[in-house]
Amino acid sequence: MSEITFNHKMAAHCESGSVTALLNHAGLEISEPMVFGISSGIFFGYLKGPRFAFPVFIVRSKPGQIRKNISKRLGVKYHTASFKNPQKGEDELDRLLEQNIPVAVQVDFYYMNYILSHERVHINAHFINIVGKKGTKYIVSDSYFPKLVEFDRESLMKGRFAEGSMAPKGFMFYPTYVPENIDYEKAIRTGIKKASYYMLKLPIPFLGIKGIRKFADSVVEWPKYARDIEHLSHEIMKINVLLEDQGTGGAGFRFIYATFLREASEMIGHSGLLEMSKRMMEIGDGWREISLFTAKIGKNRDLGQDRLKELGNIIRKRADVEEVFFRDLQNIIK
Amino acid sequence: MKEKDIFVDYKSHQLILYAEKEDGSYGPIQSGSYITKNYIDDFWLKKKNLEKSLVEKLKEGEISPIYYYMTMDELSEKELAARVKICRSKLRKHLKPEHFPNIKLSLLKRYADIFNIPVVNFFQILIIKKDKEFISNIYKNEKLVNINIEQLPTKNPLVVITRIEDK
Repeated sequence: MSEITFNHKMAAHCESGSVTALLNHAGLEISEPMVFGISSGIFFGYLKGPRFAFPVFIVRSKPGQIRKNISKRLGVKYHTASFKNPQKGEDELDRLLEQNIPVAVQVDFYYMNYILSHERVHINAHFINIVGKKGTKYIVSDSYFPKLVEFDRESLMKGRFAEGSMAPKGFMFYPTYVPENIDYEKAIRTGIKKASYYMLKLPIPFLGIKGIRKFADSVVEWPKYARDIEHLSHEIMKINVLLEDQGTGGAGFRFIYATFLREASEMIGHSGLLEMSKRMMEIGDGWREISLFTAKIGKNRDLGQDRLKELGNIIRKRADVEEVFFRDLQNIIK
Repeated sequence: MKEKDIFVDYKSHQLILYAEKEDGSYGPIQSGSYITKNYIDDFWLKKKNLEKSLVEKLKEGEISPIYYYMTMDELSEKELAARVKICRSKLRKHLKPEHFPNIKLSLLKRYADIFNIPVVNFFQILIIKKDKEFISNIYKNEKLVNINIEQLPTKNPLVVITRIEDK
């Protein structure tokens, strides 16, 4: 039996939340927006293909990148491990907990049975912190749950060793070294430059700003992928969920990014970033407008071509303003 | 967005949003979910309607139980095949009712683990009477006021206890 004194806090996003909580536990005072911004978490991608039951979009960088970029840019060292053998993965977790080391693990969100059932979907990229064990129950700190929760061993094992795309393979990590002196200015500048590059320059037609435009153009075609009007309504309303509820801090991470820019401007004394922070907050308001619009038209089954074109147009507007925004951001941070 | 414009009072589904606070600073607020608070009934209505139509197809022998659960869980063929560790063409066979009886029990158990159900649920449709209407309970256990239906695992991976409790 082990239980570590761990300061559980809800967070906007699972990966930035678990990374932040572990760094805080290790003694580094850093906020979730700062972790998200330094690691260039903001992104956009429009994805479809046989892997997906329906076209989908992402609003953040690839899972795992937040930890990796924090390691590179802040100099934090992590111990990481994956396991072919689930028993070894379980034994290693128990061993670390016995040593009072809180550990982040990657899981399939579907098996996190303390979360409301309508929220849970099969996605192998959820991160939780395990902070203790009582008998066969693990003590879990999940950014999406208001308090520490006791979680059954069987469900945790199913989640850690689910197969499929991005299979967790029992992946776990915890920080082993946090530098005393961190060059935050350099880390912030690198984080912003890379995020701007990913949004503006990736030569792939469905990623970054191009991805937002692809989404805007494609959403009018969604009826052909849907079984019926209720399925289409469900998928349209999922736009709201993906932008607001699935761990984004609101407006598809745009609000948390605005918070990062403001914090960064204060930390490195850069007034230009303060202005960009206000602009990003306004950009986020536009994404929020999309969320509310999709909820309304989905509920009303108001999903004719005219309405979908209207949706496409307001999404396209986000691409236009974000393109200008990231160019300006890139220029002021040079 | 300002905190007062984004905050939703809804305790059952809490999340963290970032917003402009009253003093002009930006930071996290703990809020309820807008879409869950306002639209959850619509979500369940659509889920129930989907379930009803799939159960009809299941009863008529038009689809296999694998197809039923794959659709309800919003998994693509490719993703489900990868999770069960079989090729996609084999999975496609399993989606057809005529091929379903040929699936090995050990493979069926792998499917059941992915859908997080006991194996027995591939072979039965539980019906409950609610508000004078019989409704399907095959997918996820319906929460009822007067009775509690639970399926409890045993040490035998293929045997489950279905417990019906009068509350």
